[in-house]
Amino acid sequence: MAETEPRTVVDAREESCPGPITDLAKAYRRSKVGDVIELWATDPGVKADVRAWAAKTQNEVVSIEDQADKVVAVLKIHRR
Amino acid sequence: MKRVLIIGGGSGATFLANTLDRRQFETTVVSASVLHMFQPGLLYIAFKNAPAGITRAERRLLPRHVHFVQQDVTHVNLREHRVRTQAGMELTYDEVVLATGVQTAAARIPGLEEVNAQFGDYHSTIEQAQKVWRHLAEVRGGTIVIGQGAAICKCPPSPLEGVLLAEEFLRERGLKSRTKLVYFTPYPRPYAAEGINDIVAPILQARGIEVRTFFDLDRVDTANRTIYSIEGEQIPYDLALIVPPFIGAPITYEPAEVLDEDRLIITDKFSLRVKGVESAFAIGDATNLPTSKAGVGAHLEAKVVAQALAAKPARFDGRTHCPMDLAYGKGTFVIGSYAAPTVKYAPSRLNHWMKAAMARVYWISLRGWLDPLFDVYFRLTAPEKLAARKAHRLRPAA
Repeated sequence: MAETEPRTVVDAREESCPGPITDLAKAYRRSKVGDVIELWATDPGVKADVRAWAAKTQNEVVSIEDQADKVVAVLKIHRR
Repeated sequence: MKRVLIIGGGSGATFLANTLDRRQFETTVVSASVLHMFQPGLLYIAFKNAPAGITRAERRLLPRHVHFVQQDVTHVNLREHRVRTQAGMELTYDEVVLATGVQTAAARIPGLEEVNAQFGDYHSTIEQAQKVWRHLAEVRGGTIVIGQGAAICKCPPSPLEGVLLAEEFLRERGLKSRTKLVYFTPYPRPYAAEGINDIVAPILQARGIEVRTFFDLDRVDTANRTIYSIEGEQIPYDLALIVPPFIGAPITYEPAEVLDEDRLIITDKFSLRVKGVESAFAIGDATNLPTSKAGVGAHLEAKVVAQALAAKPARFDGRTHCPMDLAYGKGTFVIGSYAAPTVKYAPSRLNHWMKAAMARVYWISLRGWLDPLFDVYFRLTAPEKLAARKAHRLRPAA
């Protein structure tokens, strides 16, 4: 992935109800085609949500990684 | 004596003013309105034609020693501790608490302002909620679309409560077979938090409510009576009751960096101090805290700020405890915290009764008189405790 791609980091760690998907939806609303969204979360359910979201919106999950203190999901926006 | 200025006249502001020790603080509440509204009441005006008596005079909810100033704050200089109002009044403080709430922002979505003006909404005024009821009462068939117009929603259970109460109404009127009810949400499931979704998803299915997930509202075409999502889907409607986006109050801050792009105040989620400035706290809907925008949150946050102002240890744990009406006399609670995921809390008539009771005890609760009871109740229903109890029940017998 080229370093020049605009990347938005969305920090949704330790979020309570309604949770990280709120922040992803907000970031998506502001995004445009070609943007990269990096979502940080501590809620383990976020992995399934991110995959389902990407499938529905026809955007790409570049990676979902378990780190020591968080889950990091990288998404590339193909459709807006 | 420390001068505390509380900006706002909602539940967090009012409760805090009632809580602060008069021997330690000279407290002033400044609010644009002389009236205080019990905001959850709008849901019942909209879907049950409940009486409109959900307001009281703010002055009468405050102790006599608290100064009440009815002024519309327009500028807050957090560096110089100065506040200016629309009428040109200037107020100063030692500590400020920003409890300025949120307001609806239908104009952010093309066509939504027109739809909300036509059919009403149940998140702004009594008149708008009454408009919802008038349109609902006129329904004879067709498609009713109810949903959440943006990711951030004041009172997160309220969009679902709306569709569930609408379904109850249609069934009671014998209109169910002639009406299609569609619920849309930007989330991956009907309720974002899984614990509560496990409760409501089967209910929606059983009641024949069509659910459209990942429907992030992009625009409303009022001429063709159709709503469109960013994801490229569309839903035609005859009646559309759409919860609009919410943004913070139109106040200019110095420094401007204390606001995010939705004009929400950037607040430390544990200390509730406004990020980057001294002697300023924020509570309730006005903050960008990653938790539900709801009265109970404002109340619990006000308690934390009262402790902090009194130089006692204070830390907000992100607790939510929102009642949710599931219609037909049943309810549940959305219970969670920063550390504990939302609990699957079984629906019951008792939960519904408690929500109804809150409408009656709300005014007393603002005075702080019920807090010893609330403290015990919240301890007993802590999400960690409920989850542990449930795990214990589910453990197979040896």
